[in-house]
Amino acid sequence: MLSQAMFPWILLTAAFLFTLGALGVLIRRNPLVVFMSIELMLNAVNLALVGYSSFLNSEEGQVFAFMVIVVAAAEVVVGLGLLTRVFSIGRELDVDDLDEMKR
Amino acid sequence: MNALLAALLILVAISALGVVFSRQTIYSALSLVLTVGLLAVIFLVLNAQFLFVVQLIVYAGAVMVLFVFIIALLDPASEERPRLTDPRLILGVLAVAGICTAVFIAARNGVTYDTSCTTQAATCMHGYTVGSLASTGVSGADPYNTFGFPQNAVNRAGNVQTVANQLFHTYVLPFEITSLLLLVAAIGAVYLTRRTHTGVRRDPRAAERWADELTEGID
Repeated sequence: MLSQAMFPWILLTAAFLFTLGALGVLIRRNPLVVFMSIELMLNAVNLALVGYSSFLNSEEGQVFAFMVIVVAAAEVVVGLGLLTRVFSIGRELDVDDLDEMKR
Repeated sequence: MNALLAALLILVAISALGVVFSRQTIYSALSLVLTVGLLAVIFLVLNAQFLFVVQLIVYAGAVMVLFVFIIALLDPASEERPRLTDPRLILGVLAVAGICTAVFIAARNGVTYDTSCTTQAATCMHGYTVGSLASTGVSGADPYNTFGFPQNAVNRAGNVQTVANQLFHTYVLPFEITSLLLLVAAIGAVYLTRRTHTGVRRDPRAAERWADELTEGID
């Protein structure tokens, strides 16, 4: 069981990882790194869920973290498929260039 | 336990910095591998042994290998490091600092949870009997206890058993829906990465020509 002294630090680390991932999504231009930042955000949520699960002595947080891992795996498959598609039609890998949908 | 957990949390924060601020994409990927592995160890310390294994297999095993494959395939150019005076970077760092401070203060002051739930031997809101470790007596000969760390009372039957019990009883419908999600993702990935034989598939005489070539080969 997680001690009460360590629990805020777990939440702090989770918040740090999440906001760092959001920062990476905002400032990086390489879509691969943007995807990795999204993975970082999902992992941060998992850390918070498992921390709460350990602190509250309940296993439900672990079940939800499992669901998050499944969703992350599906998201990576579709996202990297999209990236290979973008690359195969000869486009530069830069999220600022890929703005056809806005027009 | 606390010292190990603190060291792991610091290491995971440092390696996460490497993911966002590396110039080369492959360094970001390797930092993410390190982050994911350290998070797996944190899960182990927090007595989530099942998630430790799932995290290693799915993230470090499958997702990161896929990332490294795609990096090797696409060979993305290295990126300019953003200037320190970039307003987006300054705003982002301020947001990171502000949100982290807010979360830490909120967690420290306990606005979101009832601390009496964990400090005393009392029945928690989940209906589990939560107690201090000395009173629950789970520290005995427990085959599922990792590194001799204190065991969660709820995990007494074993972490895999408790999680499986939740997955296949309480949350069986969401669990089944994830199979649909994975199916859709697999179909989408196949659709997106399929090879389009441009000019061959849409040409109505392609089959005819192919048959001609085949017969020529025979002749």
